[in-house]
Amino acid sequence: MGLHLAFPHLITYRKTNSDVFFELGLRVDGRRPAELRKITSTTSVLSQADGSAYLEHGNTKVLAAVYGPREPRHRALVVHDRAILNVEFNIAPFSTGERRRRTKNDKRLLEMASFVKQTFEPVVVTTLYSRSQIDIYLQVIQQDGGVLQACINAATMALIDAGVAMTDYVCACTAGWVEREAAIDLNHTEESSDASEVTIAMLPKSGKITLAQMESRLHVDKLEEVLQLAGEGCKQIHLVVDKTIRDRAEDLARKLAV
Amino acid sequence: MASSTTASLAASPAFTFSASTFQKLHPTEYFRKFVSQGVRPDGRLLNSFRPTTVHQGVITTANGSAMVRIGGTTVVCGVKAEVAEPKLDAPDQGYLVPNVDLSPICSSAFRPGPPSEQAQVVSDQINRVLKESNVLDLKDLCIEEGKAVWSLWVDVVCVSYDGNIYDASLTAVMAALANVRIRKPTYEEGVVKVSGVDNTDEDDNSSFKLKLARTPLSASFVLFDTSLTLLADPNFAEEAISEGQISITIDEQGKLCAVSKVGAATTSLTSMRQCVDRARERSQELRAIMNQHQ
Repeated sequence: MGLHLAFPHLITYRKTNSDVFFELGLRVDGRRPAELRKITSTTSVLSQADGSAYLEHGNTKVLAAVYGPREPRHRALVVHDRAILNVEFNIAPFSTGERRRRTKNDKRLLEMASFVKQTFEPVVVTTLYSRSQIDIYLQVIQQDGGVLQACINAATMALIDAGVAMTDYVCACTAGWVEREAAIDLNHTEESSDASEVTIAMLPKSGKITLAQMESRLHVDKLEEVLQLAGEGCKQIHLVVDKTIRDRAEDLARKLAV
Repeated sequence: MASSTTASLAASPAFTFSASTFQKLHPTEYFRKFVSQGVRPDGRLLNSFRPTTVHQGVITTANGSAMVRIGGTTVVCGVKAEVAEPKLDAPDQGYLVPNVDLSPICSSAFRPGPPSEQAQVVSDQINRVLKESNVLDLKDLCIEEGKAVWSLWVDVVCVSYDGNIYDASLTAVMAALANVRIRKPTYEEGVVKVSGVDNTDEDDNSSFKLKLARTPLSASFVLFDTSLTLLADPNFAEEAISEGQISITIDEQGKLCAVSKVGAATTSLTSMRQCVDRARERSQELRAIMNQHQ
């Protein structure tokens, strides 16, 4: 392609109000430690998918679509007594704040897809749908921290919208040690700072944990507090998600009754 | 059918199908029954377009964005501006890179993997319209001649596919480009600097919007059956049984930007004229919808 010249760099200076918030004991976006970001959730947003959901945790926006149970794509993968789950991530190139990401078969994406799959496998009653495949497609439209959390919550709603049988909701929440205290629902700024972060996916009815994922260092003494806070966050998210589902169900029932 | 089977059929009770089964077994015949009455199975007239909505600024991490819904087809377009080196033969011009992504999330018709032929064709069509129609003066994207320019990555993600992806994508691209805000850069010794990333202050002079010289918008049609009946704004089922496709791209002054016709070798000029006339009307309707949501 010719001579490679020195690539011009783009430097961006950030202005933040974090100093003011720090004095008040609040986080970078003005939240209290145990405060979740604003959640917006809707189901049945896509016309082609069997079930779909749109979820926002603050500025993290995710779309989930469920196709299935349907015929498996590859004969070799057919299981005679249950359905197989297939999860695919698609991160939109315009979703990140800084650089545009292009890689599709990124190992990170495949890893996240496998987490989501393993989270849902014990919860979806796959034995009801033998020899079929349930596809969960996750489209990340905007990222501001807590992507895995948002994807799991959106996938739960999409599966319910598709009428796939599950033993319970799966609600996920991130928690970590930010500055000097435990906080939940970390945004991108907090994630990329020195804070440690753990993602928990929980079944709200039983309190059982189906996924616990952490990649940073955290002192073992603090782990209990962080896990407990994450559990609380999951329960709060469950209330919001449950309300959305029930409102939608009431809406449908009213329309059918006419 | 052979006479022997006809005889045996006459003896047995007549076949009755539910409408949806009939549609699967004989799709063309199913559509014919409607089209002969001047309507389509979804209730539209032959030249009606589906309800369309356009929303801008849906993605705050992007420089510009738009979401367009045409009936059951939903696309989201995001524009990101990045600093890049200019091309050697155009040192004072930036560039636009449009791309349309049709992934399995939008329809069971698409398989995972590299971009399908359809996605590539639509991407290329949009690229050509943007280039040939001189939608943007690329010199506006220059930061420092020969050293740094803005490259605009225009990505369209289809989240729900129910036909007519070209119209939806082009509308989304134009709406997103109109929505773009780029912070004014300064260039010093090989480094491009841009101050502040706070997206909320829109009134200050630290960012600029793109000057769009023209806004091409399109209207697509398919030709159905041996009579080559024109159907406007085809949905997924109609695309599947069409003989040919026609797309007309028109700007705000009613000037043609692009015309595309594939298939159906015996189309008459009258059909083409009908398409252009209808496309003019549709273009005005679409602009009104876009301005309404601004």
